[in-house]
Amino acid sequence: MEGLSRGFGLGKPSWRADLGVVKAVLIARLKIISRYKGSLLMDTFMPVVFAAMPIILGVSVAGANAGGNFAERTGTSNYKMYMLVGSCTFMVVSVMLWLVGYWLRREQETGTLESVFLAPAGQIYVLSGVTLYALIRTIAAFGSALVIGSLLFQVNPLDGNLAAAMGFLAIGLIPLWGLSMLFGALILRIKEANSVIQLMTWVVSFLMGIFFPLAFFPPLLRGIALLFPPTVMNDAMRASLLNLETFFGSWYASLAVMLAFAFAIPLLGYEMFAHTGRRVRAREGVGQY
Amino acid sequence: MSWKTVLEYSRYPIAFVAMFAQIFLIVFMFIFATAAFSPSDSGLAGQGQLAGVMIYGLVTNLILTFTLWEVGFSIREEQVRGTLESLYLSPADKFANLISRIFVVLTWTGAMCVVAILIVGFMVGGLPFDNVLMAAVVLIFTTSGFLGLGFVFAGITIKLKESAQLLVNFFQFFFMIFSAQFFPFSALRSISPGIVDYVSKALPVSYCVDAFRSLLVGLPPGYPELAPLNVEVVIVILFGILSPVVGYLTYKWAERSARRKGTLGEY
Repeated sequence: MEGLSRGFGLGKPSWRADLGVVKAVLIARLKIISRYKGSLLMDTFMPVVFAAMPIILGVSVAGANAGGNFAERTGTSNYKMYMLVGSCTFMVVSVMLWLVGYWLRREQETGTLESVFLAPAGQIYVLSGVTLYALIRTIAAFGSALVIGSLLFQVNPLDGNLAAAMGFLAIGLIPLWGLSMLFGALILRIKEANSVIQLMTWVVSFLMGIFFPLAFFPPLLRGIALLFPPTVMNDAMRASLLNLETFFGSWYASLAVMLAFAFAIPLLGYEMFAHTGRRVRAREGVGQY
Repeated sequence: MSWKTVLEYSRYPIAFVAMFAQIFLIVFMFIFATAAFSPSDSGLAGQGQLAGVMIYGLVTNLILTFTLWEVGFSIREEQVRGTLESLYLSPADKFANLISRIFVVLTWTGAMCVVAILIVGFMVGGLPFDNVLMAAVVLIFTTSGFLGLGFVFAGITIKLKESAQLLVNFFQFFFMIFSAQFFPFSALRSISPGIVDYVSKALPVSYCVDAFRSLLVGLPPGYPELAPLNVEVVIVILFGILSPVVGYLTYKWAERSARRKGTLGEY
């Protein structure tokens, strides 16, 4: 068979066959989401609405001094852009985790997760297909939300270094891919996906400091937050777009930290997902939830 | 049915912890966001009235969110699990499935609201807490009105299936903004008076939010913001009585229509 490199029961799918699995899953997911255009619309408008909340709250606290007070605390008076970038970045992270976690949960609920694990395809490739789909969806949503949010809040992302921000986003997506695998492993293990996803959404938004600077955190919490790759990504993107200093003092220090995350987290995520999959199959089985 | 829902919840202990942790995080995030706009020489202390407006608005937001998801979207859960048709084939009252969710909504949101109020009260050095009895009456009718919205959404879920999730999400955020659940209506008015005059004032939910929090913060000058208190209370009471009736009729209509077409279990 073309897809096998060896025969007589020792057959292992070739890289082409593995790639075929990723492609098939990706196409299937894209076809499914194309039937729910409203969900795509929500991806775009959700960050804008989410950014509007602290903006309105801030204006009701400080009134005409909102910009000045915000500048004293954060270093920029452009609080609308600050919130919008945080909100869009958060959406990227949240959707990546949501889509992977919810995919696993949905397979559990509809009773098809066992079939996925019994199929002659590596689960990691199936998961890669799902995460790739999540990446495409989040990048599209990030771009459209940034454009619509900028128009609505009358801010211009081109005033800052948009190219650098996009570069940081691209690098930040690599550890995020690993994080989504880690999250998938967690869902497989503890099963209560819905509540974990809900909780994680708020944990992530809090740790990323999407509406406030990390300096607000006490030192221990700040340290924990900086171990979380999306926090560094958000900080670097915000610094690029608003000409702020990054938490690590310079853009290349942030870049170095992000590259380290990009190397370590996907490996960790892959290993954890594979290990958890083996462990769950050896014990209660993947069908139980 | 309530017992079944409680039993189902008890099987997922992490969900219990997660819900509480979530409230802590939401409250902290908005408090930090507010702090980012206060002058650098002042903290959060002295922001009692605004904190009251925010946290009492959060109470209404939690009840509404839970109702929309727990009551409105529960039909979808049954569809996904493939148990909705079995439920309809059983000799139990079909509407009892929705009614049973009320218990969870009330106990859980009640507990979470108390926790949230205590945290914020501690952080801002005490919250205003006046007219408690009257506010409780308003909250009862508010909850009843929200449950009616939940029934309407349950009916819509039967029709729309997966797309209902989008609608629930949309309305959750719609009410959050246009019913000013986290900020005073004056903040919305500062963006555009038309938003308050043409959108917020047309929503019964806005009057529920405004009356409830205005009472609890002690009716300071400018509160309630949408209408005189007696007018707002009448609107809230009417909403609390009529909304469940409309919700029930809508649900029954959607259910009958789906059963006739044979699409009840379809998704």
